[in-house]
Amino acid sequence: MRTLYLALKYLAVTLWSAFVIFPFLWMLSTSFKTQNAVTGGATWLPWLQFEPSLAGWRALFGGAGGVNIVKPYLNSVVVTGTASAIALVLGTLAAYGLSRFSFRAGPIRNGDITFFFISQRIMPPIVLAIPFFLMLRWLGLLDSLPGLILVYVAALMPIAVWVMVDFFNTIPRALDEMAWMDGCTPVTTFIRVILPNVLPGLVVAGMFCLIFGWNDFFFAFTLTFTKTQLLPVSIVALNSSVTPWWSLSAAAIVSVAPLAVLAFVVERFLASGGLKGAVR
Amino acid sequence: MVEIRLEQLAHAYRRGGAYALRPLDMTWRSGGTYALLGPSGCGKSTMLNIISGLIQPSEGRVLFDGRDVTALETGRRKIAQVFQVPVIYRSMTVGQNLGFPLVCQRLPAQTRRKRVEQIAERLGLGPMLHRPAHSLTADQKQLVSLGRGLVRDDVAAILLDEPLTVIDPQQKFDLRRILKEINAEFGVTMVLVTHDQTEAMTFAEEVVVMNMGEVVQSGSPRALFERPATRHVGSFIGAPAMNFLPADPMGPQVAVAGTGLAMPRPDATEGRFCLGFRPEHARLVREGATMSGIVTRIWFEGLDEILALDHPSGEVRLRAPAGIGLKPGDQAGFVLEDGALRLYRDDRLIA
Ligand SMILES: Nc1ncnc2c1ncn2[C@@H]1O[C@H](COP(=O)(O)OP(=O)(O)OP(=O)(O)O)[C@@H](O)[C@H]1O
Ligand SMILES: [Mg+2]
Repeated sequence: MRTLYLALKYLAVTLWSAFVIFPFLWMLSTSFKTQNAVTGGATWLPWLQFEPSLAGWRALFGGAGGVNIVKPYLNSVVVTGTASAIALVLGTLAAYGLSRFSFRAGPIRNGDITFFFISQRIMPPIVLAIPFFLMLRWLGLLDSLPGLILVYVAALMPIAVWVMVDFFNTIPRALDEMAWMDGCTPVTTFIRVILPNVLPGLVVAGMFCLIFGWNDFFFAFTLTFTKTQLLPVSIVALNSSVTPWWSLSAAAIVSVAPLAVLAFVVERFLASGGLKGAVR
Repeated sequence: MVEIRLEQLAHAYRRGGAYALRPLDMTWRSGGTYALLGPSGCGKSTMLNIISGLIQPSEGRVLFDGRDVTALETGRRKIAQVFQVPVIYRSMTVGQNLGFPLVCQRLPAQTRRKRVEQIAERLGLGPMLHRPAHSLTADQKQLVSLGRGLVRDDVAAILLDEPLTVIDPQQKFDLRRILKEINAEFGVTMVLVTHDQTEAMTFAEEVVVMNMGEVVQSGSPRALFERPATRHVGSFIGAPAMNFLPADPMGPQVAVAGTGLAMPRPDATEGRFCLGFRPEHARLVREGATMSGIVTRIWFEGLDEILALDHPSGEVRLRAPAGIGLKPGDQAGFVLEDGALRLYRDDRLIA
């Protein structure tokens, strides 16, 4: 009975893993194919069924018919990393304020302010494209890294606020009061007493920011021209009248890689109980 | 180590709304032990939170050693407070919890460790210093909260807001003893909030009885027992409660009809009168009773028995030595000790 259960369990896990990993393996295999290997019916294994070629990978570094994605890649890392960090810091501070103090301006209360943040994500980004474009032009930041970072902070902060307000609300106020009473300043209270308790929230919010920031195509596309490009835009630029499946596959792999590593690290962190005691 | 004075202090949670705390004046001397006693919702926590600065009072002033601290922020008041629900820093160990106030004061690690060890020793937390604080039991967490107050040598007063509710009776007793010892040792002013009269009476030199946002009476446990300022205090303090019987002006006296219970008549006679006495101050007699009635019930209470007597004016209870041989249905009479009778007009003590 037990062995049967174990066998079934492993079978299920194996099937699911295969199901999940298959597209990646397919991408990996495709990235080494040539035109013939792609269009002449399904081929699977290099050397046996097709002659592997590095053409797809060369295209990523500006090889024949390709686009050099090294600079856009670094741009994406800088923009996503910086914007996520800023959004996380500002968003966490805003969320703490919203969770701990009562604000009112006329009929507007804390709940409305929180909704205002979230509503930024509810409306379709196209609504913001023209205002952002005009604002960046006015600032002279169109087609520049600082301009993109600014826009991404605005786009990512709602996520951080949204996630963190809920986490802060689960921390009893008495904890803050206790710390004040112990002679702690509000800033120290926030950093030393409250933050350690919302570590899981920070991890989750940070992960969301990085994922959304990294994958965004829309703002990267509308707010840049030629000077500053981000990865998603340059990957699209790889496309041509004859779809270069090999170089697109290679590009997909390199663009998914950081997120895969991130997911792995976060998963390890959560599983290792690195948050023990932080959650009640 | 500081004298706390409240001057015309009052608080309403909404501007112009009902008072959660009615205007009051009070002085708590340095090094004293005080208990705030009263039913739920009478404003006890409100008063403590005003003293510790978590709430800004809507009226009046708070003075520490004569210095006005009403506007001073909580962190600077050097007050330690222990809440009803244990509050600990869950992300830290017991030792880090105890040392946290010292970290806030930016003391060197060496000094911190020494003080933390001293206090942990004192509270019996020594073996747990390296345990994560969230793994402690409720009463250990309360000890940690208390320890955070004691670890600083500048703490002015320790305010305990029903800290013993979550704790089982035996540990309650131990913790109360530890509190008393610490008070004697460090001379720190302690204010204990409770709605348990025994706890208040055994802990404090002075008990402040509150009701509906008002301080009804403040005095030594003895004074509260002997001369309750209102019927409410008389009923609230002492077990069984004080006896109250309706009385009427009769000639030069105010008396309970059909009994010998009487007090001299006051000058003004409007209002509702009643006479009160403690069950402990009555003595059963066979002849010459001041008042007598039919025994309706008897409770055993250790060396004593509590008797309930029925009388047309109302029921009274007496405390008598066990084994007096009365049973329900018997006629019994008693006299009062000299000076044990109290006169109340409109539920307030007047003589
Ligand atoms: N934050 C608040 N906002 C509005 N009203 C409040 C608030 N806190 C307390 N009150 C009200 O003020 C009154 C006094 O409350 P308080 O908490 O001081 O009572 P308490 O004596 O401590 O009661 P308990 O024994 O239940 O703790 C109550 O009527 C309560 O409803
Ligand atoms: Mg209370």
